[in-house]
Amino acid sequence: MMQGLIFFVFIGFFACQKTAETTGITVRWNNNRATGIAIPQNRLASFSLDSISQLLSVRLAKTGAQPAILGEYQLADNAVIFEPLIPFTRGLRYEVWLRNQRLDGFEIPLADPKDAPELLAVYPSQDSLPDNLLKIYLRFSRPMREGQSPKYVALLKNRTDTVPGVFLDLQPELWNPDRTMLTLWLDPGRIKRDLQPNKRLGAPLQKSLQYQLVVSALWPDQQGAKLAKAFTKAFVTIPRDSLSPNPNRWQIKPPAADGNQPLDITFGEPLDYSLLTETLHVIGNDGKPITGKWHIGDEEKTARFKPAQNWKPGRYTLRIEARLEDLAGNNLNRPFDRDLTQKTVSVASASFFERSFRISRPPSGSDAALIQGTP
Amino acid sequence: MKKMYFLLAVGFAGIVLLATTTRTKKPYGLTVGTPEIKSINALTFSPNGILFVGDAKGGSIFAIDTKDAAVTGQAAPVEIKNVDQKIAALLGTEVQNITIQDIAVNPVSKKTYIAVQHSDGTPVLLRVEGDKIQPVSTKNVEFSSLALNNLPSADAKDRRGESIRVSAISDMGFADGKVLVSGLSGQEFNSTFRSIPFPFTDKQDQASLEIYHAAHGKYETLSPIKTFTTAEIKGKKYLVASYTCTPLVLFPMDELKAGNHVKGRTVAEMGSGNSPLDIVTMKKGDDSFLVMANSSRPVFKVKYKNIEGYQGSLTTPVEESFATAGVQFVSLPVTNVIQLDKLDDTRMVMLQRRSNGNLDLWTSSDRYL
Repeated sequence: MMQGLIFFVFIGFFACQKTAETTGITVRWNNNRATGIAIPQNRLASFSLDSISQLLSVRLAKTGAQPAILGEYQLADNAVIFEPLIPFTRGLRYEVWLRNQRLDGFEIPLADPKDAPELLAVYPSQDSLPDNLLKIYLRFSRPMREGQSPKYVALLKNRTDTVPGVFLDLQPELWNPDRTMLTLWLDPGRIKRDLQPNKRLGAPLQKSLQYQLVVSALWPDQQGAKLAKAFTKAFVTIPRDSLSPNPNRWQIKPPAADGNQPLDITFGEPLDYSLLTETLHVIGNDGKPITGKWHIGDEEKTARFKPAQNWKPGRYTLRIEARLEDLAGNNLNRPFDRDLTQKTVSVASASFFERSFRISRPPSGSDAALIQGTP
Repeated sequence: MKKMYFLLAVGFAGIVLLATTTRTKKPYGLTVGTPEIKSINALTFSPNGILFVGDAKGGSIFAIDTKDAAVTGQAAPVEIKNVDQKIAALLGTEVQNITIQDIAVNPVSKKTYIAVQHSDGTPVLLRVEGDKIQPVSTKNVEFSSLALNNLPSADAKDRRGESIRVSAISDMGFADGKVLVSGLSGQEFNSTFRSIPFPFTDKQDQASLEIYHAAHGKYETLSPIKTFTTAEIKGKKYLVASYTCTPLVLFPMDELKAGNHVKGRTVAEMGSGNSPLDIVTMKKGDDSFLVMANSSRPVFKVKYKNIEGYQGSLTTPVEESFATAGVQFVSLPVTNVIQLDKLDDTRMVMLQRRSNGNLDLWTSSDRYL
């Protein structure tokens, strides 16, 4: 079997030796990543693929003995393709060796500085935040490098002092699957009343102070390109929020039927951006969910639902999952931390809360106008 | 020429043989293929050497037969200095572009597996073979997988006990035929602990638990488990877990069932301003020990006998700053241990940041117990 394979490989070599004129090693790119190199076969004399992977090696171009980079060799397009386990690193030089002889070198260029990632938004977007704020979301324009937030995110107090240990140092960090949104927790151990870190260091944020969240421009994305510019979000702290959000106090403004005008909901307080995008549902009279798009607006104090199809007159239900939280981690069932000695704080165990609303036909006047307008 | 035919025939026989083995059912419901592993956040092994890979990005757990099953009685100690630099060179990059995510020792072959992540997110699985580091291929292997993020449907009647989305896997273990996974969600500061029967089934009978730990009897909050191990205390099996503020909490294993609201018993406060990184259960003579690596404390050692003797639950606050309470424990003269796994009953493989800045992989002797 093996002999047969080698035989075919030899044929491949002879064939290409006649045609291949160029000698350069080419870097193969995939999605802006240098995922491999192609070495023209005429540079490699007549070796079988087996012996090529034994004799050929790609190494870092550095002083001192460098090991062969781990990866796979294969034959394609009259060339030996080498694909390392991870893409070649931008800004580094590499060498191709055959036995003890250096064949060639190549360099992976640095990322184009003009093609920089951006920090699109920081949530909560309001500029006055409770002093028991629990989390901050950073949303980027493209996948960022993980495990870097302690280096590149800082919180300043009164524009001068960096607040130490304010964020929970979590490894691994909490990224969304495509690595464009990071959750930063303000150390919950310091927010939870009476826990050791809270007693020793106090809450991470103090009442009625000016803070600035600063994100450094040096934060690299997954390809090594750094943020286009630094980002600063200034905010002032307002008193602690220890109450669960109450959907009964929300304002629901239903649109008229016979159209796909949006349904508007006003919470009366800012709620958690990320949870808002998942926990709100509109259910029809038949119990089936209405498809459509949610848009979180105005400092996360409002949400707007645009149905995919036109509204039909009738009763609808706004279903809110109980895990929805406000900015201080209080969800619909329970506040973030609960004083067990106080009986007044009730804890529910509901899965969701519901509000119903009605969508009616437009007032007769507009109906008439509509009829008049129809030929 | 006859020889050629013979070779060809053997070759065909080989192909036929391969084809049949592919079709025959593998143990544990594994099938041959290439798992689509998007990230490797945690590694653990079953006692018979099945490797479990926790992939938080892909929201899955993979079970892989690595075929690394040669029984090794007396395991050779692992000793690799500057392991991060060696891995970086083997991957053709610089040390700042890679992160060691987890290490795990195959209890059958006693070989150490290392999960590495490149800065662009590419995961790499490596294995220590003597003083060499080798890649572990996950192409055409026997594997099975289980999705972690089965988001409950919006109109589900009752969501109680159902899972919330995992953004990160903080620890993974195997006990009593179950894969145990502790996860963190980017949205809720909650415990997303799961106990998943292995072999994986189509039925979603994984237990998702709400685990509370009371802070000094006064305030009660949910909190995610950072790391855990399992142990037998007075003949009963327990999950021994630690959280970001370093309490040590016991949960009876038989109570960890789907939908159960399990309240743990806090047996020790191991100091504030610290995050536990890894826990293992070790054994020397008649004594068993819990060994825990920490972010800003040395490695702790707790005698399980002391935990057995401590029948209370911590309810009063620790008065003195940085003080500890509850079960007595010993601080070992080893600091900055980032990863920890057990090589055998008495020896541990440690990934340690030395005082000179080097990151070394080494094996502790039984004198640490």
